[in-house]
Amino acid sequence: MRNLIFILFFVAFSMQGQTKMTAKEASDLKLKVKTLAKDVQSISSDFTQYKHLDFLDNDIKSTGKLAFKAPDLVKWEYVTPFKYAIIFKENKIYINDEGNKSDIDIGRNKLFKQLNSLIISSVKGDMFDDEKFTIDYFKSDNGSLVHFSPKDEKLAKYIKTFHIVFNETADVVEVKMIESSDDYTKIVFNNKVLNQPIDEAVFNN
Amino acid sequence: MKRFLIISICFLFVACVSYPKKHNFEEIETQSILQNPYFSDANKDYVYKATITVYDKVFGGIFIVKKIETDHHRVVFTTEMGNKILDFSFNKNDFQINYILEALNKKLLINLLKKDFEVLITEHLNVRTSFSNHTETVNQTLIDKDDYFYFGDLIINKIVRANHGKEKVVFTFSEINDNIAQQIQIQHLNIKFKMLLKSIN
Repeated sequence: MRNLIFILFFVAFSMQGQTKMTAKEASDLKLKVKTLAKDVQSISSDFTQYKHLDFLDNDIKSTGKLAFKAPDLVKWEYVTPFKYAIIFKENKIYINDEGNKSDIDIGRNKLFKQLNSLIISSVKGDMFDDEKFTIDYFKSDNGSLVHFSPKDEKLAKYIKTFHIVFNETADVVEVKMIESSDDYTKIVFNNKVLNQPIDEAVFNN
Repeated sequence: MKRFLIISICFLFVACVSYPKKHNFEEIETQSILQNPYFSDANKDYVYKATITVYDKVFGGIFIVKKIETDHHRVVFTTEMGNKILDFSFNKNDFQINYILEALNKKLLINLLKKDFEVLITEHLNVRTSFSNHTETVNQTLIDKDDYFYFGDLIINKIVRANHGKEKVVFTFSEINDNIAQQIQIQHLNIKFKMLLKSIN
């Protein structure tokens, strides 16, 4: 009996870190995120990426910089432990792999297009599309946590769920992309600056 | 006709000369067991930045190897952004595809990668014949019915897959430190396929 109480206490305690939002709290958050995302003209941020593979002892850590300019310019630039930049621009993906430059035309590639718009919406946090995702809202210790699970089977094969953490100003501070195998990629943003002018040349390869 | 036969026999004889003999190596007393140390530490995560060149196309990614237990390895390839491209398990003689991107799910490619990765992770090798040219030793082994030649005395710096005395695939290990090759290159000579791996952890 004492064990049962202990377990119940433990479960209750561990659940405290993440509790479901009420419908009112969820719709308030959604409105706040959407309002902020609508006004975002640019984002520049540092990021730390953790690739978690269940069989590894440690996550693979890399760091870099993100630049976004409305409506659809995105640059992910890895700085350590390797130099690699990927730019999404006008139906093309430009890659700079330690000085080796290449580009891919994504004009007709539906999946890449989906991926590009997902990256943009996940960085802004605005993925509140009930037709495309099953959405669950939680309160967490460091803000709000929303789970977005793609309804599209093809997309779900790549990413089972997106977990996005918002701070108190409804800005995205963390994106976790969970694969069907439960391995995941977690991106934590820091030094994030919104709506400061970004030179167009940043998006040139 | 007679001359043709003689030429044919001569040609056959030359073609049959083994790969080390072709490169002026002489047979020496054979050491029985060879150890490949490069992916043999189960306490280590092996993470490499990979650049793959197929014909004129270049692909990048992250190449990850983990020894789970004796004769059991996991080999995973992801994009730089973390998306999994392929995930293979090598467990003794059992090979399993845990995941592969649909676009890459081609038998020919899978076989090529499986063969190459198997060479990287095979730790204990029975030596069939040893050769020397007085400066370097070469040990001949067999992996999956193919002949492989391991170059190097104490440290393996090159592995060659050869067929009828001809090099087919060359594995080069460089910047070796503490049983870790900081750089590994896998070069196929019968098709335009090259994989360059640089350690990043």
